[in-house]
Amino acid sequence: MIEVEGFQKRYGDLVAVDDVSFTAAPGEIFGLLGPNGAGKSTTISCIAGLLTPSAGRIRLMGHDVTTEGPRSRESLGVVPQDLALYEDLSAWENLDYWGSAYGLRGAHLRNRVAEVLDRIGLADRAKEAVKKFSGGMKRRLNFGCALVHEPKTLLLDEPTVGVDPQSRVRLLDLVRAETEKGTCVLYTTHYMEEAENLCDRLAIIDHGKIIASGTLEELRAILGERDLVRLSGKFDTGRIGEALAPLDGVELVQADELTLTIASRQASTKLSALFEALSSIGSEINETTLTRPNLETLFIKLTGKELRE
Amino acid sequence: MRFIWQTALKDLRRHRSEPFGFIIWLGIPLVIGTLMVLASGGRGGVRPHAELLVVDGDNTLLSGALVSALSQDNFGGGIIQAEEVSIEEGLDRINDGDGSALLIIPPGFTSAILQEEPTTLNLIKNPAQRILPGIIEESVSIFVDLTWYVQRLFGDELRDIAEGPSEGGGTFEDLFVADLSVRINRMMSRVGDYLFPPIIKLDAGPAPDESTLDVEADSEDKVSVNFGTLFVPGLLIMSILFMCQSMSEDLWKERDGQTLRRVTATPRWAGSFLLGKILAAAILMFMVTLVALTLGFVYFRFHIETFPLAIIWTTFSGAVFVSGLMVIQLFVSSARAGNIVTMIIIFPLMMVGGSFFPFEAMPEGMAAIGRLTPNGWALEQMKAILFDRVEPASLARSFGALLIVGTGLFFLATSRLRRAAS
Ligand SMILES: Nc1ncnc2c1ncn2[C@@H]1O[C@H](COP(=O)(O)OP(=O)(O)O)[C@@H](O)[C@H]1O
Ligand SMILES: [Mg+2]
Repeated sequence: MIEVEGFQKRYGDLVAVDDVSFTAAPGEIFGLLGPNGAGKSTTISCIAGLLTPSAGRIRLMGHDVTTEGPRSRESLGVVPQDLALYEDLSAWENLDYWGSAYGLRGAHLRNRVAEVLDRIGLADRAKEAVKKFSGGMKRRLNFGCALVHEPKTLLLDEPTVGVDPQSRVRLLDLVRAETEKGTCVLYTTHYMEEAENLCDRLAIIDHGKIIASGTLEELRAILGERDLVRLSGKFDTGRIGEALAPLDGVELVQADELTLTIASRQASTKLSALFEALSSIGSEINETTLTRPNLETLFIKLTGKELRE
Repeated sequence: MRFIWQTALKDLRRHRSEPFGFIIWLGIPLVIGTLMVLASGGRGGVRPHAELLVVDGDNTLLSGALVSALSQDNFGGGIIQAEEVSIEEGLDRINDGDGSALLIIPPGFTSAILQEEPTTLNLIKNPAQRILPGIIEESVSIFVDLTWYVQRLFGDELRDIAEGPSEGGGTFEDLFVADLSVRINRMMSRVGDYLFPPIIKLDAGPAPDESTLDVEADSEDKVSVNFGTLFVPGLLIMSILFMCQSMSEDLWKERDGQTLRRVTATPRWAGSFLLGKILAAAILMFMVTLVALTLGFVYFRFHIETFPLAIIWTTFSGAVFVSGLMVIQLFVSSARAGNIVTMIIIFPLMMVGGSFFPFEAMPEGMAAIGRLTPNGWALEQMKAILFDRVEPASLARSFGALLIVGTGLFFLATSRLRRAAS
């Protein structure tokens, strides 16, 4: 259970995260979707106690991360974006150490290490030094190190960046398996497909602010099942409104001299009318893209820019 | 408590996979010690050394300076002797097993340095020799690190100097010289950004006046003066300093490897992690001390009953020293800066502090300064424990001083740890 209320983080004058609130419940994967620099890692770091929030409250399983730091981290597992492993140690020794860091010991620790090794598919390589592992194996171990103490809350910061497609699928399966046991997962990503496939609920974050949140259905409803048409070329921004006015059910989302974004139901049937209207005011169109409604289009609709870097 | 032990165990396991470090820590001082003994003990006056063949393919002022720096008597602890050769001769000789290593300075070395372009010094090691080429490699790589820093900080100034005075043949104009010194001055204050250790002095302990060792003394219950008593303790401290340096650098591995972040996200207190690392260092220093003293016992008839106290003393002062170096590592901005700053601190300390040359062989004024260095002080106490009767009261005072300084350093390091992790 993660409760974030009015959370803000400043680096000097820069406000990296501003007035962010959300709650992630047990057994659910809560996604934080946003482009690079949106403030995802900053949020994760504050929840994990690596940084101190500038304002607001963050609670893990009911414990405040600032006033009850160690207590709040007891049932927290963190999967860092970069590999955090001891390369000279074996997989078993790595898991054993991180288990002991959460107070596990004796037979219980040994059993947990064996279980995790099994789960991440490294049981037969347990005694080998990590430096001999492939990238995908290291990724899985990096994930496993956060699981030994059976955390009730898991934080994953873009765990699939730079991971090959096969390992990625495996990793996402592992994350899903965790939630089936009732674990609460906070998952950050800038891949909207991943957020769509994996997350039960999500918040879209940009420039440190949450611009939309809810279940996938709720977010899609904001778009109203409308397609997005992105045009590039040369446009006279002053006259676009007038040109589009006669067209039924067409909404202008964003416009500048070089690009134009329009939302419309069944846009494919309206393209010729749209082109006609635009050329009547002397616009030039070089390229057209039509996108079915998804998180990407929602992001474009909300911010006027694309999610990818 | 358990976590401290688990952390120490984890570090010991990590070192297990690189036993080479252990050999170096013991090996360098042993080699230096052997050389010292041979050099001063005069077995036919032969003084073995690592022979470094240098090919100066660049033939400029700077490469010449490098060659002569390498040929300095005290470079590499005085064991390295450089000789300039042609490339053909150098390769022939190294292939014939003559010389420990061949260093090739490439053409264009100077201009690459001045233009801040990457350049490579080529070091060919003699495969037939083991330790000496290693010492050369270590020494040359320290030199290369320093060059890198000088290049970073004084690149513009070096270029100006290399271009020479503007009007043909004259001297540098006053204005130019003044400008240059202002710039260098400014640069020196900027160095603070790279190397930002607060000035840390470890020598808070009492001056060891009552307990100084008198090697001339000749009574029955003292070990007779021999090379062992003169050199073994100093060389042991040298080993300890090398170990401390390398163990403190390990914090950067934890930091760059993100494991420090992972630790910070656990419920454990950062200090217990640090204590675990210090404990691992202490265990290794304990073992090295045991080996060194055993050698002392076998070859120089050290009194074995003094060993427990001597080992505790050495290990404990080593633990305090490694805490001090860890503080430095946590204050500087990169692993490289940490390496250089700690090396810059350690080498002079070893020189002055009685590790290369025993205090007994130094001019009195210098020895007096040397005994005030943290390592020199620890060395004097150790010798007192080994070869003299130490008063319990004075020993207790020394331990107390160590404890106070060590505690201070430890908490300073702990307070920086979380920031270093994020
Ligand atoms: N240590 C720091 N000091 C100053 N600014 C930072 C620091 N860390 C991150 N930022 C800034 O805060 C913003 C959010 O960064 P981050 O949380 O890393 O974003 P994300 O993880 O979503 O890519 C960015 O503008 C970034 O430049
Ligand atoms: Mg990030």
